[in-house]
Amino acid sequence: MKKKVLATLLATAMVAATLVGCGNSSNEEGGASSADNTAGDASTTNTADSSASTDSSSEPVEYGSGTIKIWVAENVVDFTQKKAAEFMEANPDMAGYEISVEPVGEGDAAGNIITDVEGGADMYGFAQDQITRLVSAGALCPITGDNASFVTGQNDEDATNAATVGDVVYAYPMTSDNGYFLYYDSSVVTDPSSLEKIVADCEAAGKNFYMEINSGWYQPSFFFATGCTFTYDTDNDGNFTACNMDYASDKGLVALKEIIELKASPAFQNGSSISSGTNIGAIIDGTWDAGAAKEIFGDNYACAKLPMFEGSDGQKYQMSGFGGFKLLGIKPQEDAGKLAVCHALAQFLTGTDVQLARFTEVGWGPSNVAAQQDATVQADEALAALRDQLAFDIPQGNYPGDYWNLATALGDDIISGTLSTSTSDADLTAALQTFQDTCISYAQ
Amino acid sequence: MNKSMKTKRAVGNAITYATLVIISIIWLFPFVCLFLQSLRSYNEGGGGMVEYLLPKQFSLDSYIYLFSEESKFVRWYGNTLVIAFFVALFQTIVVLCVSYALSRMRFKGRTFLMKFWLILGMFPGFLTMICLYFLLKQFHLTQEGAIPGLILIAVASSGMGYYVVKGYFDTIPKALDEAARIDGASRARIFFTMIIPMSKPIIIYAALVAFMAPWCDYIFASYVAFGYSDSYNVAVAMQRWVWTNDYQGFFTRFCAGGILIAVPVTALFICLQKYYVEGVTGGAVKG
Amino acid sequence: MGKFFRGVGNDFKEIGLTFKEGDWKTRVSYLIMGFGPLMRKQFVRGIAFLAVELLYILYMAGFGWNYLKDIGTLGTVARVVNDNGTYSYNDNSFLILLYSILSIIITFGFLVVWRMNVKENRNEEMLLAEGKKLASGKQDLYSLLDSHFDKTLLAFPVLGIFVFTVLPILFMICIAFTNYDAKHQPPTSLFSWVGLENFKNLFSFGTTGLGPTFFVVLMWTLVWAFFATFLTYFLGMGVAIMINKKGIKFKKLWRTILVMTIAVPQFVSLLYVYKMFAADGLINSYLMKWGWISSAIPFWQDPTLAKITIIVVNLWIGIPYTMLITTGLLMNIPEDLYESARIDGANALQMFRSITLPYMLFVTGPFLLTQFTGNLNNFNVIYLLTQGGPLSMTLANKAGHTDLLVTWLYKMTVNDTNYRMAAVLGIMVFVVTAVISLVVYGMLPSVRDEEGFQ
Repeated sequence: MKKKVLATLLATAMVAATLVGCGNSSNEEGGASSADNTAGDASTTNTADSSASTDSSSEPVEYGSGTIKIWVAENVVDFTQKKAAEFMEANPDMAGYEISVEPVGEGDAAGNIITDVEGGADMYGFAQDQITRLVSAGALCPITGDNASFVTGQNDEDATNAATVGDVVYAYPMTSDNGYFLYYDSSVVTDPSSLEKIVADCEAAGKNFYMEINSGWYQPSFFFATGCTFTYDTDNDGNFTACNMDYASDKGLVALKEIIELKASPAFQNGSSISSGTNIGAIIDGTWDAGAAKEIFGDNYACAKLPMFEGSDGQKYQMSGFGGFKLLGIKPQEDAGKLAVCHALAQFLTGTDVQLARFTEVGWGPSNVAAQQDATVQADEALAALRDQLAFDIPQGNYPGDYWNLATALGDDIISGTLSTSTSDADLTAALQTFQDTCISYAQ
Repeated sequence: MNKSMKTKRAVGNAITYATLVIISIIWLFPFVCLFLQSLRSYNEGGGGMVEYLLPKQFSLDSYIYLFSEESKFVRWYGNTLVIAFFVALFQTIVVLCVSYALSRMRFKGRTFLMKFWLILGMFPGFLTMICLYFLLKQFHLTQEGAIPGLILIAVASSGMGYYVVKGYFDTIPKALDEAARIDGASRARIFFTMIIPMSKPIIIYAALVAFMAPWCDYIFASYVAFGYSDSYNVAVAMQRWVWTNDYQGFFTRFCAGGILIAVPVTALFICLQKYYVEGVTGGAVKG
Repeated sequence: MGKFFRGVGNDFKEIGLTFKEGDWKTRVSYLIMGFGPLMRKQFVRGIAFLAVELLYILYMAGFGWNYLKDIGTLGTVARVVNDNGTYSYNDNSFLILLYSILSIIITFGFLVVWRMNVKENRNEEMLLAEGKKLASGKQDLYSLLDSHFDKTLLAFPVLGIFVFTVLPILFMICIAFTNYDAKHQPPTSLFSWVGLENFKNLFSFGTTGLGPTFFVVLMWTLVWAFFATFLTYFLGMGVAIMINKKGIKFKKLWRTILVMTIAVPQFVSLLYVYKMFAADGLINSYLMKWGWISSAIPFWQDPTLAKITIIVVNLWIGIPYTMLITTGLLMNIPEDLYESARIDGANALQMFRSITLPYMLFVTGPFLLTQFTGNLNNFNVIYLLTQGGPLSMTLANKAGHTDLLVTWLYKMTVNDTNYRMAAVLGIMVFVVTAVISLVVYGMLPSVRDEEGFQ
C-alpha cells in the first residue's frame, strides 16, 4: 500500500518535472499549460485523415501508456469501440493506450462515478441534468484553453451552455436530441395538434396515451407552456446560488390543472418508455426510442411536435419542454499524458464526422453545427419533429438533483389522486407554493 | 349417521381440493406467464411489454439472443455459477466449523461471542455497503476482481449464520463424543470422522441455501462490479433490462433469462427439497 | 459493570505482582514479549509472542500511525489542481477513519496479547516452581486439534467477521457523526466530525427536518412487518393443514408447486409480478377487456392500495415457507389430544383454537420473532415491487409511501450518496430491531416457561 503511494508520488513528480521542463522552454505565459497545448494540437487535427500533420510531429510528446476506460450507453458501445480504434490508428503516438468501452447507462454512469471517482471510467457519457452533481462531486475535469474553444466553436450555443457550469466548460456535447415530442399511431390519432383530441381518440380506440408526468423532465412541458419560468443560477463549482421560479401563480395553476385533467382520462398511462408500454396509441418520448417506436407502430408510425391544449381558463397553449443534450465528460486525471489523450479522443468522438456517423448508425441527433446541416440529418422524421418542438422548448439549464425527486413526488401526488380534479384551487395553489418554496430552498 | 359423516367428509375434501387447485393456479400463474412471454417472437411488440397473455407468434428469438455472440449472458451465467458454487462450498465449511465449536466445546468468551454476533446481526446489511466496497477496492477485488471479491464477502461473514447447523449438532448425543474421547480420539478427529458424516442432511441444507443466494444478489454485486460488465452476475445484468431505459425491447429477453435461471435452480431445489424442509423446520423450532 | 471493573483492577494487581515476584526473564518479557518462554525453551509460544510484537510495531510504524495521527481532523489537504490541468490526491478522510479504527482495534488486541504474555510467564514460573514439566511445542500444536480445537475452527470465521462486518459497522457508526455526503466525498474533498448534527436533523420537525418523514416511514415499517409476519404465518398454517388433511392426495405435488416461489430468484419473479399489476399490465388489461373495470386499478400508484398489494404479493412469497415449517410441526402434535377432544364433542374450529394454535405458537415463538425482525428489513419485496413509491411532497428526502427504513437507507446510500444520514438511519434500524427483540423475547412463552408445552 505504502509502496504504491510512494510510486504514484514519484511518478507524478517525474511527470510534473518533465512538464515544467517543457513549459520553460516553450512558453512563459502562465495561462495555457502544456497539456492544453498538446490537446489543442490534436483538436485541430481531430479528423482521422489529417491527424499526421506537422504540428504534432514537430513537437513529439510522450503520452505514456495505459488503459482508457469509457462508459457509454449500451447501444453505442460497439460504435464507440470502433471509432476509438480508428482514432488510435490515426494517432500512433497515442497508441500506447488501450481503450476499453463498457455499457454503463447515462444515469448509472453518473451515479457510479460520484460514488467512487477514482474507480470510475476516464471518459463517460451522461445526460445534461447530471452535470452540476458531477461538478460538485469533483468528477469532471474542467475544459480550458483551446479545448474549450473547440466546444464553443463546433457546437450550437445551447449545447455549449449545457456543457457549462458557472462560466467553466466541463464536457464535450455529443448530441442535442435530448428533447421529447409525440410518437403516435396514425390509425388511432387523427389530429396530433390537440392534446384533448389525442386523448379522446385514444379513449375511443381503447388505446393508451403515455406521458411520464411524474418526471421533472416531462412535467415542465405544461408549466412552460402557460408561461411559467424555472431556472437556477450556478457558480463555477456547481453550487446553486439562486432560483428563478413562478410556478405558484395563476399560470402555474392552469398548468397543474391540465396535468390533473390529463391524468383523469382512462386512456392515460404514466410512462415514457416505448417497450415497457402496452397497447400504445400515442406516447411522449425522445429520439432514442425511435427504433422501438417504428417496430411497435409499423406502417402507422408517425411523429409530430407536442400538441396544444386548452387550459382551464379557456386559452390555448402550445406544450413546451426541455431541450437537452448528451455530453461526454472526462474524469480528473493524475497523469498529464493520459489527460491529453483523453481530450484528443473526446474531441474526436464528439467531432463532426463521428457525430454524423453516430447519427447514421444509431440515430443520435448531432449537437455539432456542421453535422446538423447534413442532408440525412435534416431528412430524419423523428429529428424533424424534435426540431419543430425545440422551437417551443426551453434549453435545459442546470437543476439540483433534489428537484427531480421533488417533481416525482408532485407527479406521484397527482397520479395517486392526492391532487385531483376535486381538489380546490386554494389547495392546488398551496401545493404549488410548497413545491416552489422547496425548489428555492435548494439554492443557497 | 355414518353415511352423513361420509358425505360431510367428501364435501369437505372437495372444498379442500378446490381450494388447493385455486392456490396452485395462483402460485404457478406468474411462472407460466413468464414462460409464455419468453417464447414471444421479436416481431411481435418488438420484445417489449404487451397486455395479453398468449403470444400470437411463438419463437425462440429471445433464447437465441441470449446465447448469441451479441450478448454476454453466457458469461454472466457462468460468473453466477462460479460464485454460487464457491460460496456454497466455503460457506458450508465455515458454518460447520463455527457450529461444531459452539455446540461441542466450552471455551472462555463463548456466550459473549454468540451474543455479540446476535447484536451484529441486528444492523441492516446495506448500512455497510459503501464501506465494504472501498474495503474490497483496497484488496483490488472490485471491477476485474469482483467475482473473488463477492465470494470473499459472502464467505467471510457467513460464520454468523450458524443457528440451524448448531441446532442440528446439539441433537447429536454428546455421549458419542465422550466415548470417542475416552478411546483417545482428538476433537478434530471426532469432528471429521463422526460428526460430519452424521450430518449429511444439514450439510446439504446449508449448501443449498448458500448456493441459491448469489442468484438474487443484484445490489451489492452491481456495486462491486462497478461498471465492469465482464464481472456482472445474471441478476445485475438482467435487472438493468427492466429498469434502465437503454434496453428497449429487452423484456422478452428478461423473461427468457429468468427461465434459464429458474429451471436449474428449481430442479436442484426440488431434488433436495427433503433436506431443505428438514433444515427450515429444525431452524424454526430452535429459533 | 462493577464486576468488570473489579476484574480490570485484579488484572492490574496481578500484572504488578508478576513483575515484583518474577525472575529477570519474566521482567524482560514486559518489554520483549515472549522472551521468558523462549529462555525456558518454550519456542512455539515464545516465537508467537515475539512475532506479534514485531508485527504490531511494523504495522503501526509503517502504516497505522500515518492514519491514526489524523483522526482528529480526518485530513487537512484535499485534492489539488496542478498547473498542467492534472490533479493530485492527498488526504483521504475515508481511509484515515477506516484505518484509524483498525489501528485502535489492533492496539487493543495487542494489549490483550501482551497481557497473555505476562500471564504465560507467571504460569510457567509457577509450574517450574512446583517442579512440573512445561508443555512441549509439539503438544502445543497438537492441542490446536484437540483441547484448543475451537481456536482452530473459529480463527478464520472470527477474523472474517471482524474485517468484513465489525470493522465496517464501527466505521459506519462513526460516519453518523461526520458530514460524509455528496458535498464531502473523498478523495475529491474531505469530511470532518460534526457531532450530533445528523441525529438532530433526523429528529427535527421543522420545515427542513426529517422528523415527520422518519416517523411515517417507521410506522409503515412496523405495520408492514406485523402483517407480513402474521398473515403469512396463519395462512401458511391453513394451507399446511389443508394439505395434511386426511384423505387429501398428491400431498407432495401441492407442496412442490408452492415451493417454486422459494426456488425461483426473487428478482425474476417479483419484477415480473410488478409488471403484471402495473396500470398498463396484464391484470388491468384483462379486467378492462372483460369489462369488469372501466379504468385501471392503481395497484402501485395509490398509497393505500400499494401497501395492500405489497402485503398480498408477499403472501405469495411467504406462505410456502410457513407451509413447509408448519407441516412438520403439525405432525408432532399427539393425535390422542385430538381424539379426546373429538370425544368431548369439539368441532374442527374449537380443536384448532384450543390445541393446534397454542401448540404452534409455543413452538414457533422464536421463529415468529426472527420473521418479524427479518421483515423489518425485508428489502427485496419492497424494492423489487415499488422501489418505495409512490413518492409524495409530504415526505422528505425521496422517501415514498411504501418505503421501509431499510429501503430509504438504500436510496440515501446509492442515489444520494448521503452517507451521513444513511448511517444515522442504520443505527435507528438497529435500535428498533434490538428493542423489539429484547421486549418480545422476554414475553415468549417458550422462554418464560422452561417446562415446555404440556
